[in-house]
Amino acid sequence: MRKIIGIITLIAAGTFTSCSEDFLQLPPEDSLSQTIFFQTQSDFEQAINATYGPLRDLYNTGGNSQGAWGMGELTSDNTYYKYNPNYRAVQDGESIADFYVNDGNGTISIKYTNNYLIIARANQILALIDEVEFDDNAVKDNVKGQALYLRALAYFDLVQFYGDVPLHLVPTTGREDAALPLTPATEVYTQIMNDVGEAISLLPVKSAQEAGRATRGSAQMLLANVYMVQENWASAESTLTSLVGSGEYDLLGDYANVFDLNNKNSVESIFEVQFLEGTEGFASTFPYNWMPEPVTAEQVAQITGVPNSQASNQQGFNIPTPDLLESYEDGDLRETVSIDSIDTDGTYYPYIKKFWTPHSTPGITGVNWPVYRYAEALLFMAEAVNEQGRPGDAEQYINAVRTRAGLPGITGVDQATMRQAIMDERRVELAFENKRWLDLVRTGTAQAVMSAFGDRVKANPTDYYFPEGFGPPAAAFTNIYELFPLPAGEALLNPNF
Amino acid sequence: MKTKQTLWLMVLLCTVLCGFTANAQQRITVRGTVSDAETGQPLPGVTVLEQGTTNGTSADFDGNYSIEVNSNAVLTFSSVGYAAQNISVNGRSQINISMAIDSQQLDEVVIVGYGTQTSRKVTGAVQQIDSEELADIPVPQVTQKLQGRLVGVQINQTTGKPGQGIQVRVRGQASILAGSDPLYVVDGFPIVGDISSINPDEIESISVLKDAASTSLYGSRAANGVVLITTKSGKTEQGGFSISYYGGVQAVPQKGRPDLMNGTEFAQFKKESFEDLGLPVPEPFQNPEQYGEGYNWYDAMFRTAPIQSLNINWNARGERSSVAIVAGVFNQEGVMVNSDFKRYSLRANSSFKLNDQLNLGVSVAPTYSIDNLPSSDGAFYATNVNAGIPGGLVTNAMQTWPILPYQNEDGSLPLTAWIPGISAFPTPNWYRAAKEITNETKSLRVLGNVFLEYQPIEGLRLKTSINGDFGNSSFFNFSPSTSSTTFAALPPAIPTSIRRESKYLSWLNENTVTYAKSFGDHNFELLGGMSFQKYEADNSQLFLSNFPDDRVRTIQSALNIDRTRSFNNINEWSLTSFFSRLNYDYKGKYLVTFALRRDGSSRFGSNNRWGNFPSVSAGWVFSDESFLENTDWLTFGKVRASYGIIGNNNIGNYTQYALVDNSLNAVFGNSISSGAAVTTLGNSNLGWEKTKQIDLGLDLRFFDDRVEFIYDYYKKNTTDLLFNVNIPQESGFTNFNDNVGELEFWGHEFAIVSRNIAKENFTWNTNFNIAFNRNKVVSLAEGVDRIFAGGGYAAITRPGEPLGQFWGLIHDGVYDNQQEFDSSPKAVESQVGTIKFQDVNGDGVITYGNENDDRTVIGNPFPDYIFGLTNDFRFGNWDASVVISGSVGNDIAVTNDQGTTNLDGVFNVLRDVKDRWRSPENPGSGRYGKTTGATFMERDWFSSRFIEDGSYLTVKNISLGYSFPVKETSFLKKARLYASVQQAFVLTGYRGVNPEISTTTQGQQSNALALGYDWGAYPVPRTYTLGFNLSF
Repeated sequence: MRKIIGIITLIAAGTFTSCSEDFLQLPPEDSLSQTIFFQTQSDFEQAINATYGPLRDLYNTGGNSQGAWGMGELTSDNTYYKYNPNYRAVQDGESIADFYVNDGNGTISIKYTNNYLIIARANQILALIDEVEFDDNAVKDNVKGQALYLRALAYFDLVQFYGDVPLHLVPTTGREDAALPLTPATEVYTQIMNDVGEAISLLPVKSAQEAGRATRGSAQMLLANVYMVQENWASAESTLTSLVGSGEYDLLGDYANVFDLNNKNSVESIFEVQFLEGTEGFASTFPYNWMPEPVTAEQVAQITGVPNSQASNQQGFNIPTPDLLESYEDGDLRETVSIDSIDTDGTYYPYIKKFWTPHSTPGITGVNWPVYRYAEALLFMAEAVNEQGRPGDAEQYINAVRTRAGLPGITGVDQATMRQAIMDERRVELAFENKRWLDLVRTGTAQAVMSAFGDRVKANPTDYYFPEGFGPPAAAFTNIYELFPLPAGEALLNPNF
Repeated sequence: MKTKQTLWLMVLLCTVLCGFTANAQQRITVRGTVSDAETGQPLPGVTVLEQGTTNGTSADFDGNYSIEVNSNAVLTFSSVGYAAQNISVNGRSQINISMAIDSQQLDEVVIVGYGTQTSRKVTGAVQQIDSEELADIPVPQVTQKLQGRLVGVQINQTTGKPGQGIQVRVRGQASILAGSDPLYVVDGFPIVGDISSINPDEIESISVLKDAASTSLYGSRAANGVVLITTKSGKTEQGGFSISYYGGVQAVPQKGRPDLMNGTEFAQFKKESFEDLGLPVPEPFQNPEQYGEGYNWYDAMFRTAPIQSLNINWNARGERSSVAIVAGVFNQEGVMVNSDFKRYSLRANSSFKLNDQLNLGVSVAPTYSIDNLPSSDGAFYATNVNAGIPGGLVTNAMQTWPILPYQNEDGSLPLTAWIPGISAFPTPNWYRAAKEITNETKSLRVLGNVFLEYQPIEGLRLKTSINGDFGNSSFFNFSPSTSSTTFAALPPAIPTSIRRESKYLSWLNENTVTYAKSFGDHNFELLGGMSFQKYEADNSQLFLSNFPDDRVRTIQSALNIDRTRSFNNINEWSLTSFFSRLNYDYKGKYLVTFALRRDGSSRFGSNNRWGNFPSVSAGWVFSDESFLENTDWLTFGKVRASYGIIGNNNIGNYTQYALVDNSLNAVFGNSISSGAAVTTLGNSNLGWEKTKQIDLGLDLRFFDDRVEFIYDYYKKNTTDLLFNVNIPQESGFTNFNDNVGELEFWGHEFAIVSRNIAKENFTWNTNFNIAFNRNKVVSLAEGVDRIFAGGGYAAITRPGEPLGQFWGLIHDGVYDNQQEFDSSPKAVESQVGTIKFQDVNGDGVITYGNENDDRTVIGNPFPDYIFGLTNDFRFGNWDASVVISGSVGNDIAVTNDQGTTNLDGVFNVLRDVKDRWRSPENPGSGRYGKTTGATFMERDWFSSRFIEDGSYLTVKNISLGYSFPVKETSFLKKARLYASVQQAFVLTGYRGVNPEISTTTQGQQSNALALGYDWGAYPVPRTYTLGFNLSF
């Protein structure tokens, strides 16, 4: 008896033990784990789609802590904020506009983290894609090209705003490889050029690519932009020449049509961040941050064109400055397309008009964000040839843009005059497209332009939308920096900073 | 790994086989008489048990008994109030015995893990409470009834939401990310979650296991302490039937309600703000007196509400079976409008003696509850989790302008509470929103158990059981057009609805072997066992929006399903365990226990799947030694010591895996394409949190056991903390789950139980307990020197300090005048008349939010000590009791002040904001700066201005009862009427209504890193009840 029970127990225990490892193996059923992903062409197609995602957050985020427009436009002399003494949860935005930003600023962090999110997702793809069989090798090249383009675009954004940054080129696996030392900006640029060069060879041209994805032209434009920043005019010219000569791009006939919902990814578009009206989570909301608040429901309806709008009583940001309004030449068709004004409290305030598109639900629009347009390619081309001492060659490019705006051409001017004309043209043609600040930095004029701007704001605060008796703090505009500090949260975690 | 497991099986087998070494014995019948040692009178009802078996009988009315036992059996004689005795039969057929009075629970049976022990032999730290002591407390949760009763166990009611919000922490237990709640074991079954759904009337006793030796048999789930719940079983021989009922009313006490500006004061405040700005005063504020008192929005949210409870108990025990049935109905309306909680419960426990060797037990306990709980808690910008529907209703009501009505004179409810062009934020009528939002949860939970127990030979018991815990709950929210969130658009809003369905099943199969044997004065008891448990849950949510109106609330009437807020989660875990224990004692004087559990869990990384949890404990009953035999004043003395390693496996079901999120879709042109990316990093080394605990204890009884004293010292070191280590976002990830760091907990616990007066007609018992719990961070992750929690209002956790210290600036008044301004350190945005802080880092400027700014530790949410005091009186047929619990030395961060002292005039504010700085000549109290500049520093920069002393003494319950004299032979056995006041009053310097408050901004229960925040919560009401108990 004793033996029998002993044997039975032993068998029972043995059975339980051998199956217990299976019993204890319970991977998640409601999501995929990495071990079973990145196996098929479809996995990589999904992975590249997700790599575009952070661009929406980067360009769309609003409120006090802002997306790309905070550091790209609000910092510059193109736009300012409309001070509201009754709504003061605005320090991040005001300190950006007034040049006393600290490293705890949310806007700095939004730019940093979204770019690195793109980089990490691209790195996942690039680390594994070569080992996986695709049904179609053209798809593999395309996916790989997009990943390289997006990684280069992200690093280019980082290096222009922060200078030296950590350079991650392979996926992070744990705590050890999460924090890297800063890589000098020059080396980051080398990597960007390598990536974008490879992307140019892998990516299809615009007409062969699904609308909205990165194309060979997108990569060429990015490379040209890098050359412009490096003042490598000849290389910029040759890159732009193949872009212009590709036959894939042209200006739309009317400036107003550029931002029309029906012209998303149009022939003028080189790269756009994609948005879609609706509640699926892809809507663009950024124009809503740029109303001259406080605004009543009726005023919002007037601005947005949506009848059942709600009042908003916070603070308006990205309000066009009197300086910008001044810089439109008489007869420039772009002024009324770009800017409108509204009487909110007995005074008319300007606001950005060009991104308002018809939509039905308040707060949800579908307008895309133009990262690169053909108009800018033409202005880059004009600049590249002018800087090589050929102001005459620049004329056809700048005048193509001016003609569409209803302005007379510029002819027979010297290099310096042409240089100024190109900068002025960029300012109004690309107003509110996050180009102005980087142009000031790139051309070495940020210090002078922004100091003078600050003096004007401080001298006449009411011209810059302050109520009577208010003005920017004393510390404003006293230290015009060209690079932003790395986010405090990151500095805390990365011992190399 | 394999060898370890094999070894383990050997141990188990030995345990099993040992049982069979004993040979079958000859059965004989033993008879005798039991008498009282003092009086010599026969003692009826004494229980006679054959040790190590369930074979037993009881003495008849004349003290005679008869029992068939093995010839070498040991008989245990026990009776309430008498010292139990163990007598070896040694072949005798006649054993007469006299029982000595043993005044107290000295030999009370204590429920411990996987069995029972007499309290004399307990070598761990265990405290048991019988539910009878808790009967008069009119609350729905048993843990709530335990407030003030348990030494070293902090039980806080963090919110007054009916049926919610009780936080139980054993010995200051805290984890950074894994849970800190104890493991609840109901009749041997470790259940899912807590016991809030269980009707307290079903419970017979509660045993709290605190030290590692007591808990180590629960292995990887034991580190937070274990609460053993034993439910009622058929206990009386003749069976009985009883009814208990109470009913009463609840109301929010006046003391503790926020002292806000009334209509006139608020309009005056606004008027002055505009004057100070030099702006014209808008029309609504030009004549403040017109508003008088205005509208008290806080008071509007609350009401006097009824509470009722009815329980019916029936139990019976026959020759071969016993059964107990408890049926209960509980119905509580909340003191906040549109809140209530109802529970219908039933429990049937039965056991059957199939033959002399086989016992079968079956129990089933369904509970159905319905609650409707508003999103009352949290900051004014809180939203109901996972959904853009309003939260923080209490705070929002407080902040609404008192010059605006929540109800029109004709009784109708306005839609909004704002003045177009004047109010800063679109404000709905929060009172109306609270009344009209539906937040209903209907839950069914069924606990079930079947066991079979086999006693092949004397002393050996084989038991197998199957337990099930099944839950199904449906949550339905409807946010009508009249509701809105703070900062969102003004109503009418687009109606939305959430439908959430959750179901889970947890099952356990457990197989144990116990064997008890004595060799002379050497007593052994062995336990071996294995168990398998699996949990499966499926939760799904639909978020519906764009209903055409508020009337039809079905899915098909919604125009839109919001995919981003709709989901389906599947959660599973499994646990395989082996465990064993050896109890040994010599003469009941020298006691030793060894225990070992081995757990394998699906939650642990594949490289770290199995863990061992051993413990050892010893005790010495020194009062039994000859040198103390004649000491009259000391009746009992025992020292105890234990050491063990236990685990905390609340690390998430899938934390070890690198997860791919396949909902990261993208738009290209006008079409949506699916996207996926790795969003969390995996860690295949991930394991449980490990706690090593030492406990040293001393139990003393004096003066014929009139006074009992219990002391415990403990020290726990928790290592391998589950920690979501923040990593720089340059990696593309925000954190990495790892086992890192070390926390240390230690403390002293004292309990005194005194029977001050023990006369026949008058008794007075006092029970006092006090515990000094401390914690300290020994280390965090490598390269991590601090962790912030609590959002912008930060709590900091650093090595060398306790967890979650409040971290902010030191408030130093206001810059009263230009001279003070010029001579003081200041921030970039500071002005004369704005808030002034101390320059802690001494760099001459005030900075906030960067690494070396002027923030420092400004408060500690942990108390210096917690205590409880219970006094019970009985005089004739009257009885009374007073229960007190308290906490001393903890701070509360009244972050709610972010809104209620907001100087921008966007909200209603506390009355004392009147005394703010207005000019150098009129500098105010120094607490608040001016309304016209840099107000964000006062509002958003966390400072000592928000910190208050949270010490309190709460009289939790006062009750008074009268038992009607009933004839012994009457149909009615007992009739008692009582009155009770719950949350009678609170003595505290803290200004709010509930000093036990602690929530996150979203109104959720906060973790150990961010305790003590008052973001506003449902207040804890005072409850007056009348009740009766009838037994038949």
